[in-house]
Amino acid sequence: MTDLIKLRGVNKYYGTYHALRDIDLTIRAGEFFSLLGPSGCGKTTLLRVIAGFEGVSAGTVMISDRDMANVPPNQRPTNMVFQSYAIFPHLTVAENVAFGLRKRSDIAKSARAGLVEEALEMVALGGYGKRAAHALSGGQRQRVALARALILKPKVLLLDEPLSALDKKMREHMQVELIRLQRHVGITFILVTHDQEEALVMSDRIAVMFAGEIGQMDDPETLYRRPKSRRVAEFIGKMNFLPGQVTALSAAGEASSGAPLAGHAPGTVPPNRTNRLLTDLMDKIAPGTEANADTDTAEEAAASPEVMTVDIAGLGAAQISVDQAPEGAKLGEVAVGIRPETLAILFEGEMPKRHECPGVVDEVVYYGDMTYYDVRIKDVPQPLTIAMKNLIGRPVLEVGAACRVAWDDRALVLF
Amino acid sequence: MSLRVYAIAYLIFLYAPIVLLPLFAFNDATIIAFPLSGFTTEWFSALKTNGSLHGALTNSLIIAGCTAVFSTLLGMCAARAAAMSHFPGKGGITGFVMLPLVLPEIIVAVSLLVILRQVLGLDLGNWTIIMAHVLICTPFSIAILNGAFGNLDPSMEEAALDLGESRWSAFRLVTLPLVMPGIISSMLISFTISLDEFIIAFFLTGSDPTLPVYIWGLLRFPAQLPVVMALGTILVALSIILLTIAELFRRRGIKRSGAKDTGGFL
Repeated sequence: MTDLIKLRGVNKYYGTYHALRDIDLTIRAGEFFSLLGPSGCGKTTLLRVIAGFEGVSAGTVMISDRDMANVPPNQRPTNMVFQSYAIFPHLTVAENVAFGLRKRSDIAKSARAGLVEEALEMVALGGYGKRAAHALSGGQRQRVALARALILKPKVLLLDEPLSALDKKMREHMQVELIRLQRHVGITFILVTHDQEEALVMSDRIAVMFAGEIGQMDDPETLYRRPKSRRVAEFIGKMNFLPGQVTALSAAGEASSGAPLAGHAPGTVPPNRTNRLLTDLMDKIAPGTEANADTDTAEEAAASPEVMTVDIAGLGAAQISVDQAPEGAKLGEVAVGIRPETLAILFEGEMPKRHECPGVVDEVVYYGDMTYYDVRIKDVPQPLTIAMKNLIGRPVLEVGAACRVAWDDRALVLF
Repeated sequence: MSLRVYAIAYLIFLYAPIVLLPLFAFNDATIIAFPLSGFTTEWFSALKTNGSLHGALTNSLIIAGCTAVFSTLLGMCAARAAAMSHFPGKGGITGFVMLPLVLPEIIVAVSLLVILRQVLGLDLGNWTIIMAHVLICTPFSIAILNGAFGNLDPSMEEAALDLGESRWSAFRLVTLPLVMPGIISSMLISFTISLDEFIIAFFLTGSDPTLPVYIWGLLRFPAQLPVVMALGTILVALSIILLTIAELFRRRGIKRSGAKDTGGFL
């Protein structure tokens, strides 16, 4: 895929308020890209910068390798679906959809009616053309806004929280519709949303924004499974955080340094030895040393990734791979994140997992398909939230019930 | 119960004098007193043939028409600025623009007279009255148009821009039709205010009086009093009709822009 939109070092100030901080962003052609963040994080400002409604204080915005600095919104290859939809209430549905064709001399007047009907059919509003726009429902307005923008075949469609005004059912329905539409037209969509679920469902890639900065930019799965910071993890889905201690760092493939690591269980390495291992390892992962490492080492390292040992408060030691931890991780205190659905309560007859410990149910929240338990475990500072699917034959535990909690090293994320 | 009595008494107090106007306008006697003596349309016929009255009426209509147009244009600029942009000192400037609403008219009239005659040395005439009336009507226009522009979704114009229109055509194609009811309402109210304004017109009028000034002149001749009553009746009817139309347009505008009605002049 080719790069369609390139933002480099974009900064935006409102007076002394720093709304966008050094935004670097590349959006590929045909991508469904989401800007996700809490209100006031600058995601809408960023969208308006791309649309041309806001200028930048510093940095460049390129669309199709063309600098947009002096290009007004009406000459940019972008179209926008506004949060309020901004359907012109004094016009009919067809007049709304045809509005953007007025200035398009390349489209014959005689062809316009057909295009309008085509666009309306695309959003399942065929035959609605003659209706007055102000009499439409919320969902219909949103479709008209989509048709009005898509009829111009923009390179980029910008969507500013287009679903936030709809009720839950309608919103879920329109999410699927939008994905289908985007695949059908092949236009790059940039969606602004504060709803993490919506972003996960719809996007190819997501940029999570906080206070004018991009906290993390990844595909939905990476973002959810390997959040790079605690605030990203907290914003996307639920996560339990426990204090922990990295007690050992080891590299299974550390052949070149000569340290006989392979086969040693890192947890059993005595402390003074661990420290030496650490310095060795830090040398290895420090920037610039990669060039020195011979190819054998690189291959071996890929086959057996470096591991770390983490002592989690109340849960005990766990072995994790370094890609579960931030870059340049070292010994010392960390926060350990565990998603509720990666923890499990073992019901009768279920096999024990790798780690298991006893607990007491502290709180039960029943969602129908799922039950969320807060479980108190000895020596764990706060109750852990555990999400369990309500499968057939599986009881819903009551507050105060004793249970067995299972967890897996692979689900841990270090911050 | 007592509240109802109070409300009725209050309404009588407000409207009794106005109800008396048409009563005596159709009364067949030159003296304004009860009992009524009979029905006549003589006073209305007298209005038709009165040349100097027609002159005064023409003056007033020209002044009111010009005032309506100018104050609404100024009001549009101010209301749009207030609704759409943020600039330093916005609150202070808005307050300052609205100030003539509460300034005593007699003060405005005297100070304008001094400035126009003594400082600028201009001759008094319709134009001087128009200027003064624009001054007092603009705050009313701003108040009405603030509602119209304030209820407008700012994304509307942006959407038009986004769809390829220039700033001016976006305003003309989207904003203007949506605030048009407010514009008409503002013009009608300015027209009404200017039409029956007396104090400023009295001070600034040249050799040709406006209608209210002419009526005031008539009062010196008791025999003409029933004619004044007839004229007053027509003016009251006209004012009510114009204000009703203005209010209807204002409500239609709010309905059109899809906002909730937050009150108005009527």
